[in-house]
Amino acid sequence: MTSLSARFCRHHGDCGGCGNCACEKPQDALFDRMVRFVNDLRAQGMTIGMRETEDMLRALHLVGFEDRDAVRAAMRAILAGTRREQETFDKLFALYFVSAEEFEANRRAMAKARAAMEQRRRELEETLTVDGKPIEFRDDLKDVYARMPQSERDRLRDIADKFSEKMEHAPKLYEGFIRSVFMKSLLEQQMVLEDAAEGAMQQDSDADMMFRDISNFRDSEIPRAYQLIDQVTRRINGAIVARRRAAGRSAALDFKRTIRAGLSTGGALCSLRYKKRHSRRKRVVMLCDVSASMMQFSEFAIRFIKSLSEVSDHSVIFLFSEQVQRVNPFALQDMSLFAGYVRSSGVWGRGTNIGRALEAVLAANPPVLGPGTVLIVLSDAKSVDLNRAEAALVKASRQAGSVVWMNPIPEAKWQYLKGVTRLRPHCSMVPCGTLDALARACARLV
Amino acid sequence: MRDALNALKAKLNGENYIADDALAATLYIAMQLNRPLLIEGAAGVGKTEVAKAAARAFERPLVRLQCYEGLDESKALYEWNYQKQLLSIQMNRDGGQRVEDLFGEEYLLERPLLKSIRSEEPVVLLIDEIDKADAEFEAFLLELLSEMQVTIPEYGTVVAHSVPFIVLTSNHTRPLSEALRRRCAYLYLEYPDVEREIKILRAKRPGLSEALATQVARAVAYLRQSEAVTKKPSVAEALDWAMALQALGADELDDESLTQTLGFALKNNDDIREIMSDDEFIRAIL
Repeated sequence: MTSLSARFCRHHGDCGGCGNCACEKPQDALFDRMVRFVNDLRAQGMTIGMRETEDMLRALHLVGFEDRDAVRAAMRAILAGTRREQETFDKLFALYFVSAEEFEANRRAMAKARAAMEQRRRELEETLTVDGKPIEFRDDLKDVYARMPQSERDRLRDIADKFSEKMEHAPKLYEGFIRSVFMKSLLEQQMVLEDAAEGAMQQDSDADMMFRDISNFRDSEIPRAYQLIDQVTRRINGAIVARRRAAGRSAALDFKRTIRAGLSTGGALCSLRYKKRHSRRKRVVMLCDVSASMMQFSEFAIRFIKSLSEVSDHSVIFLFSEQVQRVNPFALQDMSLFAGYVRSSGVWGRGTNIGRALEAVLAANPPVLGPGTVLIVLSDAKSVDLNRAEAALVKASRQAGSVVWMNPIPEAKWQYLKGVTRLRPHCSMVPCGTLDALARACARLV
Repeated sequence: MRDALNALKAKLNGENYIADDALAATLYIAMQLNRPLLIEGAAGVGKTEVAKAAARAFERPLVRLQCYEGLDESKALYEWNYQKQLLSIQMNRDGGQRVEDLFGEEYLLERPLLKSIRSEEPVVLLIDEIDKADAEFEAFLLELLSEMQVTIPEYGTVVAHSVPFIVLTSNHTRPLSEALRRRCAYLYLEYPDVEREIKILRAKRPGLSEALATQVARAVAYLRQSEAVTKKPSVAEALDWAMALQALGADELDDESLTQTLGFALKNNDDIREIMSDDEFIRAIL
């Protein structure tokens, strides 16, 4: 059991500055910290009203400050309303409320680490000297040297030792050489450290995967992405069903059925019957760009759309790059075979011709577009022959009920893309670069 | 505080519910603040069981409202006994009956929500799988959750005689409204770790040997983290599996008993096939 109170007040923050505590006004310090903590949670997007804050303080009054875990559980129960909010809460809590023991341990560990870093920086200056003067490196590179693994530092020192004699004979020549060897190693190491930091952030949580650019997913993350898609579509379907039910239920009495039911009770209307509205599933035509850079995105989008319960089973899918191919519906029943299917289709991995693809959709016989269909284009809008693409898109938007363009490129970059500026006015283009954006776009479809 | 939490955990343990510190603290706070408790988590982690165990532990009656699509006030709160009203009108055709009389106590049918707030002794009200109900019903619940009262248009406002402890559960099949979440204390239940699962298995299946309980707990822990398994086994399924093994008289998991009983933990043929060909699985159990 760890105590929070030691850092603030030995009297559980109730003394109001009694003079017996190490701190002058412990209650104020704690209160101030709580207020800043709640404000930071709000800044992270959590909705915390006065009532929650008040309840949190009541909860703290109940649990006291003796047990850090209990304090965390109590505050979290009141302030965090979803699992994602719980994760945000935990991260901030760890930063704000350190136990006295942890605080002391951290302080000691940091002091030790700082001393070690300083020692290694000095080591760099002492190892690399020309005429008794250290070779100059930027401060950030000195830090990189200090953070390097021991083996890497030993390797660099060996190189310096090997050339130390030659350095005395031709200092200018060898100074440049050694400096370049060191710089290369240090910059490489800097990159490794940055990647490691990024990797640590990326592995953080599912939430992070939902908000990361799909094109940056590593191969090892793809199965997890599929699971996330399943979870999210389950949620979307739940919301859609609830919405459809609400819209389908009508308060209007069905007089005909009520009177008919009343005949069995001698005309007394014992059982009231209400009118119901029938729901109609949407028919979707998907045009999927499967050029090499787009296949992953198209697969994710198809998985999303196919899982939506409001989408008709009779929906049609076309794959395109320079050529177009209508997908055999049986081939995509098992989405785990999608990548193999696309690779063997002959369409995969070529350039992009959106105009030709749209023309093929328009020319399909029997026609696939109609007032009741939604045409979904999954593409980054980078295409040859934009005039042809624009003309075909105008025609398609007249024939289809609506045209939705799901674009994996972030909206901020659209202004620099010629294809987007030409095609966007003729359809409803939505940015779908992350799983979260893709899920939101799919939810809006139905 | 620590004493209070330990006492609560002991009470729940006494009802065969093995609670961890976070659960005990959240439950304690929610009860002390009279705040409804919203519990989320995967299917079968024991969300409903929290309410049942709390009711038993605090010797309160449990009133359960199972939510489903289309659930409305008439099924959840109250309903006028329409047939009885109709009969009354027909019997009093000659007059002498006022319209107001038809909306009195006599014709009011209590449903779980009304029953829980009109109860003289405080109850535990379990609103199970709230995510399956419609958004309208959620909005209707807000008055009850924040004010502990409900309004019946023809009858008036009914204020709670005693404050029920309300537990809402959700499998997160649709997002719940921000308004509902704000009114509740929140708890996310994870699958139990191996140690806790062993305790649960032994508490719920008293005759189960420690060795077998350990093997079952390790096996389900492996199945839950395996990406090859699409339908993760719940605590209830782990209990069923243990019971099946007990019924077979197995002292430990071996090839034969595994083949015969794995269907109690995994409910999908592809999952079973994948796991049976996974050598890591056998190593994890042993």
